[in-house]
Amino acid sequence: MPISKEYIVKRALSLVAVVFGAAIITFVITRVVPARPELLWAGPHATMEQIEQARKILHLDDPIYVQLGYYLKDLITGNWGISWRTKSPVLTGILSALPATLELIIVAFAIAMVIGIPLGIIAALKRGTIVDHILRVVTVSGASAPVFWLALIAQLVLSNWLGLLPSAKRVDEIIVIETGFKPITGFYLLDSLLQGNIPVFIDALKHLILPALVLSLYPLCLSARMTRALTIEVLNEWHIRSALAWGLPRNVVLYKYALKNIIAPVIASLGLSFGYTLIGAFMVELVFVWPGIGMYAAMSLLSFDYPAVIGCVLFVAIFYSVINTVVDIIHAIIDPRVKL
Amino acid sequence: MVFEEAKLIFRLIKMNPISMAGLVIVVGFIILGIIAPYITPYPLDAWGLTYNVEKRFLPPSLEHPFGTDEMGRDVFSRVILGARFSLIIAVGVVGLALLIGIPIGLIAGYLGGRIATILMRITDMFLAFPPLLLAIALAATLGRGLINVIIALAISWWPWYARLIYVQVNSIKNLPYVDAARIIGLTPIKIMLRHVLPNALTPVTVQAALDMGSAILEAAGLSFLGVGVKPPTPEWGLLVSEGWTSINIAWWISLFPGLAILITVIGFNLLADAVREAMDPRLRKAIIMRRV
Repeated sequence: MPISKEYIVKRALSLVAVVFGAAIITFVITRVVPARPELLWAGPHATMEQIEQARKILHLDDPIYVQLGYYLKDLITGNWGISWRTKSPVLTGILSALPATLELIIVAFAIAMVIGIPLGIIAALKRGTIVDHILRVVTVSGASAPVFWLALIAQLVLSNWLGLLPSAKRVDEIIVIETGFKPITGFYLLDSLLQGNIPVFIDALKHLILPALVLSLYPLCLSARMTRALTIEVLNEWHIRSALAWGLPRNVVLYKYALKNIIAPVIASLGLSFGYTLIGAFMVELVFVWPGIGMYAAMSLLSFDYPAVIGCVLFVAIFYSVINTVVDIIHAIIDPRVKL
Repeated sequence: MVFEEAKLIFRLIKMNPISMAGLVIVVGFIILGIIAPYITPYPLDAWGLTYNVEKRFLPPSLEHPFGTDEMGRDVFSRVILGARFSLIIAVGVVGLALLIGIPIGLIAGYLGGRIATILMRITDMFLAFPPLLLAIALAATLGRGLINVIIALAISWWPWYARLIYVQVNSIKNLPYVDAARIIGLTPIKIMLRHVLPNALTPVTVQAALDMGSAILEAAGLSFLGVGVKPPTPEWGLLVSEGWTSINIAWWISLFPGLAILITVIGFNLLADAVREAMDPRLRKAIIMRRV
């Protein structure tokens, strides 16, 4: 389906506006709301000198609009402050953690789609039967579980008690040293495959599977419920009924005519659950010592490393907006009815 | 009218045992939240005021159904009292979010024009954040504490209600009865409060009541990330995180508070599902037809 350039330009412009808005809100929260922002910025064990330095970095002696100007300039030039936990620039820390998080989230979403959508279709086709009721309870429960608790219990039972899967980190250091594995892109699965390093690939997969499963549970259940609702709605529409009345085989009607109408809104709903999954990654990564943005953010939160926390908040907000824009564009490509 | 509606919804819920289970869980949770402080077997343990060396890490038994934690406190008592705090957080978050969201949505919807554009743009700016992220930033800024958790979550939630009210008001404000009120010369404030708001309120309040499960879940997440309530408050998320360090020797400390969250949120979500289905006119017809 061709898609107009105008639409993409429009979406890109609104993305810029949204990111700008998010930056303004973050500015208000971090600089205007606290009585003395420099105390937060310098951390709980700061000396007088460090606090004074923080005042200078934040330009707190200037009027608020000048502060905002400096803030936006720093934001664009990538000068996001220094984390005093890691003693390195915040943006560098976040970017170096990005591949680990992306790998985890991509696999989690793949699991969610591959299992969630068929479950939803099954529930819709068996509507009102015992299968449907069981699936309803299971998917509602899955979407209700606190993800950090789930991670703790899964780790305890499957790793610590049964010893089925490794409990922490991305890969076993010993295997890395033995095989001379060197990450290039930071996506370990991809890197090890490209280098033909099968032991590392298998080990990385083993490490990945448990956190990815835990993280996938929420989008999985959500997509299953969305798919069910949409399938039921579509099956009641006239074009499907008339196709059935014409005597077309049920499966043909289902897969050729009904499913086409479901895919676009299901993808849109997955975009929505992406936000939850990003925050869920904060907690899952913390539990599984997965060195991604989530763990970086969670460690910063737990050690009151304010510049790093705010950096993560900004980054995740921007990332989320970008993903939503991409999802909208994909949605428009799949579904010709969508017009801005 | 509203009462009739509620009666019909209740009738539809009663027909489905799973929906009924949701209702029972929610009612049970609310009752527990109210009476919790009076029924804990070890009240001092529940409030976290005791330290009992010889009772540390006791596994579940008749005396301590959920075991004891690293301070020798009865986990069962703490989980029971946790219901009170979760209820306070849930009601506080949803209530505060409604207090902010309703006026903004109402004013934007009724006045329209430039004011609406500005107000709804601000609302959209808040919606650019994934849920909980804004709350994390706010909680990290305000510091730990029950009130701060409620404020942080409410600030990240009101935009949803503002939008909902805005849409409702927009569909109501041009109805003949509102025009009539305008013609007889009522002030805009009177029209908004007496004639528009009451009819726009139902879907938002229903949504808000059912959102309480998510509020509990998100508050627990904040506690787990170290920006929630202060210890020794027996909030469920904090209880789970307190048991984390000793989970290999005493799994019960984290397991039971987590289960409490799970069951409560399931209850709210099942009920939300049922109410949404019952309020959807097309589905409602289908349900009634099928059962008759």
